[in-house]
Amino acid sequence: MNHLIILPVAIYLGAGFLIPLIARKDEVLAGIAGVLFTSLVFITSLFLSIDVFTNGRTVYFAGGWEKPLGITLMLDPLSCLFLLMTNTITFIIMLYSTVYMKKFTGAPYFYTLFMIMLAGMNGILISMDIFNIYVFFEVASIASFTLVAFGLKAEELEASVKYTVMSFIASTMILFAIALIYGLTGTLNISAFMSSSAGLSTVHLWFIAGLLISGFALKTALVPFHSWLPDAHSMAPAPISAILSGMFIKVVGLYVLIRITTNIFITLPQIRIVLLLFGVFSMLFGGLMAYGQKNIKRLYAYSTISQIGYCAIGLGIGGYLGYLGVLMHSIAHGFSKALLFLNIGAVEYMTGTTEADQLKGLNDRMPVTTLFGSTGMLGIAGVPPMGNFWSKLIIIIAAIQAGYPGIAVLCVIVAVITLGYFLKLQRTVYYSRAEESVKAEAPKMLLLPMGILAVLVFISGILLIPGIRQHSLDKAVSVMENFSYTDIKTGDLQ
Amino acid sequence: MENKGMSEIVKGIARIVFPFIVLYSISLILYGHITPGGGFAGGVVLTGGFVLLLLAFGKEYVFHFFPLEIAKSLDSTGALGFLAIALLGLLGGAFFYNLLPKGTLFNLWSAGTIMLSNIMIGLKVSAGLFVAIVILSMARLIRTKEGLRYKQSGKEEDQ
Amino acid sequence: MIIYILVALMFFTGLYGIIAKKNIIKIIVGVNIVGYVTSLLFVLFGYKWDGIAPILTQDMNYSQFVETAVDPLPQALVLTSIVIDLAFVAFLSALAIRLFERYGTFDIDKIRRLKG
Repeated sequence: MNHLIILPVAIYLGAGFLIPLIARKDEVLAGIAGVLFTSLVFITSLFLSIDVFTNGRTVYFAGGWEKPLGITLMLDPLSCLFLLMTNTITFIIMLYSTVYMKKFTGAPYFYTLFMIMLAGMNGILISMDIFNIYVFFEVASIASFTLVAFGLKAEELEASVKYTVMSFIASTMILFAIALIYGLTGTLNISAFMSSSAGLSTVHLWFIAGLLISGFALKTALVPFHSWLPDAHSMAPAPISAILSGMFIKVVGLYVLIRITTNIFITLPQIRIVLLLFGVFSMLFGGLMAYGQKNIKRLYAYSTISQIGYCAIGLGIGGYLGYLGVLMHSIAHGFSKALLFLNIGAVEYMTGTTEADQLKGLNDRMPVTTLFGSTGMLGIAGVPPMGNFWSKLIIIIAAIQAGYPGIAVLCVIVAVITLGYFLKLQRTVYYSRAEESVKAEAPKMLLLPMGILAVLVFISGILLIPGIRQHSLDKAVSVMENFSYTDIKTGDLQ
Repeated sequence: MENKGMSEIVKGIARIVFPFIVLYSISLILYGHITPGGGFAGGVVLTGGFVLLLLAFGKEYVFHFFPLEIAKSLDSTGALGFLAIALLGLLGGAFFYNLLPKGTLFNLWSAGTIMLSNIMIGLKVSAGLFVAIVILSMARLIRTKEGLRYKQSGKEEDQ
Repeated sequence: MIIYILVALMFFTGLYGIIAKKNIIKIIVGVNIVGYVTSLLFVLFGYKWDGIAPILTQDMNYSQFVETAVDPLPQALVLTSIVIDLAFVAFLSALAIRLFERYGTFDIDKIRRLKG
């Protein structure tokens, strides 16, 4: 048993309660503590991923209680990939928010809530019970409601209320599904549920699957359930928007959907068709609605809906290429969308507005910020050699090979539409002529995280080179394709 | 202390009832591994006792004995204590392992670390809910010429 | 059987409160009711008719206890669920107070500045 597995959650929970104790009035100390704890967890996740990617799945029994009695924690290559990516992006965003939070009052409370949200997100990735996933995802969600409303302006509060009530309905549906799972099979452990789900009738299985998919599709913002996302992500402070769009949707929504479709409900392949439909509608809707937006952050939020649609299409197609496309696209989109939100946050820090009509000629005023912003926009639009290009190509090839040529054509059209609105944004906001061209560059600490993310966007394509791919992405995909719980003995690896 | 709060009858009864509430909540917390209850229920009852004092005597009296800053620190201490107990289980082999000797069944000193965990959770829940209730109930809106505005919490103004 | 019908009735009452009411305080009450119903359903799934509470006292036979006691696992899970619902309601109440200060009303039709 690898004892490092509990460290991310334990460190973040300890940090979340240590910061109000020692640094309630002092925001510099709170910032330093935040950077310290996120770097500790980042190093821990590096060690954990080296262990998991070379040795395979690791299982941990909390409290020493064996499998049917206790809570088991598990890290396999799929969750370790998401763990590593989450902690990387979190560390970078924490560096950014030490400077950005100077504009807000009550900054130490921001660090507290941020740590608790990260504890929840990391907890989802290591748990194997369906109820454990529920508890951690509630912890992360409640912390994120508070963070969306952090600036206490009128629009932020309204966005937070909408997000909270809709998320509560999703939680209720998920809790109903958990109650039904317990009532029908008498166990909450995923492996035991799978072995006894052969005895359930199809109606019961479909009902549970329907409730779970609806609940988690609302957290992933797929199209019938998306209406909280433009308000919440555009009104949150910039580092919170970056975490929400970049990682929170992927971990809380997409990762659990992957677990549900590929590991739990293997006997219901029709779930994939539902996800495919949701994905196609999300892709089209996000791409078309992004054209009419004046607020730049709202445009980025609709672009997030569109890109998550790509991931859902990849999940719906299935097979080796489809799953590879989902993983690669979530990694690449995480880096590039976080870069874009940090970028618009830096622009807002220096100029005070995010409306596209009021910002002109940013290239003359802040050239380095413009460079990073253009990198991010080209990244999301899918221009080679950035990671998004390869992932969209993989999803399109997967669609053609699986016999859905119409979906492949739609993917190409939406990619062109995405490039269209980002180029329009670049022309009107960044590369136009400014009224006054006084150079007011963003502070260095805001530029450094953006630089790191820009480099990561460029080189994230190397995960697909066959030598590296075998060790990292292939193992995660093979978890998705053929999963077996039968060889989880007392902590031995298979 | 000025004469704020409710009438003398209410104050007298609150004075008598409050120690019983505290005793009941401590009994719920300490016997949490044998009888129903435990940390959360005991903590909520203790908060109820503090709210009774807050309603009967007014907030200056309560803040004289239990200021808000101490409540916030107790909150964090309770949570950190719980985490420390869980990490101490690592010495025994796994996270949350039950380290201390488990005595005979049905005694007070049985079941190892569960009683300590209950005490930490009771501390955290009571202090945390007290802070939440005080902050939620100290909001007073004043109608000024520009519209509504929050009264600064802690200042004494009549409406 | 009739218990499940009553639970469904209570659930639809709470859901009606969330969806159809305009005052935000009534939406919060609806949230509260739906939270209670979910916990109740959970406990009801672990219930055995004519069972005793799952507390072991000193003069009890173990096998008889295992046969007649109600299932204790849902009760532990409901404890967690109650705390989560408490957090939801506390946060929504704080939001409602702040919303009243900014918009001057509790009506959600008027709290609608974000469009598009």
